[in-house]
Amino acid sequence: MVLTFVEIGISKEEALEALQVVRQECHGDATRTAGGSGATRKCTALELLEEEQAQGFIITFCSALDNILGGGVQLTKITEICGAPGVGKTQLCMQLAVDVQIPECFGGVAGEAVFIDTEGSFMVDRVVEIATACVRHCQLIAEAHQEEDNLKALETFSLESILSHIYYFRCRDYVELLAQVYLLPDFLSEHSKVRLVVVDGIAFPFRHDFEDLSLRTRLLNGLAQQLIIIANDHKSAVVLTNQMTTRIGQSQSTLVPALGESWGHAATVRLIFHWDNSQRLATLYKSPSQKESTIPYHITSHGFRDVQPPAVTQNAEDTEMNPRKRPRREEEK
Amino acid sequence: MAAKKLRRARLSEELCERLSRYQITTCQDFLCLSLLELMKVTGQSYYDVQKLLCKVSRACAPKMQTAYEMKLRKSVNPSSAFLSTTLHSLDKVLHGGVPCGSLTEITSPPGCGKTQFCIMVSVLATLPVSMGGLDGAVIYIDTESAFSAERLIEIAGSRFPTYFDSDEKLFCMTSSVHLYRELTCGAVLNRIMSLEEEIISKKVKLIIIDSVASVVRKEFDTKLQGNLAERSNFLARGASVLKYLAEEFSIPVILTNQITTSLSNGLAIQADLVSPADDLSLSEGASGSGKRESGYVTAALGNTWSHSVNTRLILQYHDLLTREDTGLISGYETTSESPSGTS
Repeated sequence: MVLTFVEIGISKEEALEALQVVRQECHGDATRTAGGSGATRKCTALELLEEEQAQGFIITFCSALDNILGGGVQLTKITEICGAPGVGKTQLCMQLAVDVQIPECFGGVAGEAVFIDTEGSFMVDRVVEIATACVRHCQLIAEAHQEEDNLKALETFSLESILSHIYYFRCRDYVELLAQVYLLPDFLSEHSKVRLVVVDGIAFPFRHDFEDLSLRTRLLNGLAQQLIIIANDHKSAVVLTNQMTTRIGQSQSTLVPALGESWGHAATVRLIFHWDNSQRLATLYKSPSQKESTIPYHITSHGFRDVQPPAVTQNAEDTEMNPRKRPRREEEK
Repeated sequence: MAAKKLRRARLSEELCERLSRYQITTCQDFLCLSLLELMKVTGQSYYDVQKLLCKVSRACAPKMQTAYEMKLRKSVNPSSAFLSTTLHSLDKVLHGGVPCGSLTEITSPPGCGKTQFCIMVSVLATLPVSMGGLDGAVIYIDTESAFSAERLIEIAGSRFPTYFDSDEKLFCMTSSVHLYRELTCGAVLNRIMSLEEEIISKKVKLIIIDSVASVVRKEFDTKLQGNLAERSNFLARGASVLKYLAEEFSIPVILTNQITTSLSNGLAIQADLVSPADDLSLSEGASGSGKRESGYVTAALGNTWSHSVNTRLILQYHDLLTREDTGLISGYETTSESPSGTS
């Protein structure tokens, strides 16, 4: 466009000015008819750095897992958890739905949770156990430190309030899932405190009744796009669980995450849960900022935990990275 | 929900007319199209199409409940949350018994007692609530012709002699167990699809399918091309219908499975393929290390099926006399064991 202006004999800067004036006029029209968010998503890397450092993480109560994730499950990103049946994916999701609600003075993000269940594995009684253990944990800290805001926060951080702020949707097939994700932005605008969206079982509704695999790929890509937008616009973490499927190779068969190769690009962070004899392991498989590593974890009656009590430490790096966060408290067993 | 007609989603008549010309009549058809296709087909602008999407979505989307409401509903009716198996240690591990509203799978080597367990649970379901039962009918889908009515009466009579003190009570109980013999996969699937009406009319409180594995393994040979995908398809469809029935009517669904040996053709298998509790050879002390040359023993029907069930119980031989129950893949904790004998 600038070149055509240059043909008529004005300088590039003047041409640019003229273009910008013209654009202003058109843009003005467009914004009048547009009703949508249209928030420009460009910023400099410096602004992004400040944002990222101020970002909250949702802790998992397994400090080894939090460490390899760089602090916990990150807000504004999509984290995918793949694993064999029974390894603990839903357990972690339920743990996160409780942990997202931890008040800020205890190191949490004080948010609410949306839980979209496609497999029917959500057990309320289990969430009650996890939530009770979490509240107890915070109570112990408050007793140890005896600070004003800790005690005040505990007044509103109770079992009832935790349960009331987990919004549960049971989607029985992929159409209900698609519909729910279309409606999610409106729901999140009404419930602005939501900081976590869990889709437990993104694979299940898409793994049968699909003769047209290209339709499936298209729908999944559409879902991924919408979830990325939701994660960004509402500053929430999106956590998806995926199944494992057997890929029949020439000489052996291996377990790989389901839904195909192209789906692997959807999530920003990918965790794979697996077994080694009787120990459960979590491997960070894909992450833009952390290196690939594997840690063991445990599932106890209190929820998702480390295998042994971690070394007592005031993690100096943590306080530098997140000056607004209180230092991480020790794991008490 | 997916097959809901667009008209019922409150779209305007003329729009429905226009869409039906493109063969778009249900919400499913509508939601599967991309935005560009929708714009072309409805002839409306980008933002109007978004509003239409929201309208149609609202017609299909599930209702929201908070976890608190779910808990309240459960606590109002505590007895209806589980079906106690009357085996105390098993009930303890399962936090009350076979859970209502989800799928429970029982798998074991042959002869361990799966069918006996199913027959016993059928008796329990017909008992009144005061005795720990569900006071309802039972649908028993039998694919192996292993169900024995005489055994049913024998168990009822010896387990609850005071309750089943008259022939009348026994006949009453037997008439509420509805047996269906289905011998092919297609027949089983059709039967499952038609269960909804039966459940309402007969006041059914328990569904048992004994066994899923035998009928599936007869028809699908996974070494043949394409059969693995077809089998997974069939199982996933069956599982989702059963889950719908279980949740909609809050009843337990029990399925039985078999054990299979996975051969590795001499190559080392990754130890993390299979949950160690699924790998029965570990507990039998066959091999301690990760490398196994002869293969490992696991529940049949593959990975997809393992993902579909909510709770899996594995019965094994402990020694010649007692059988052992290794419960795993439950919504609660990790594996634990409880012994059980036959009576």
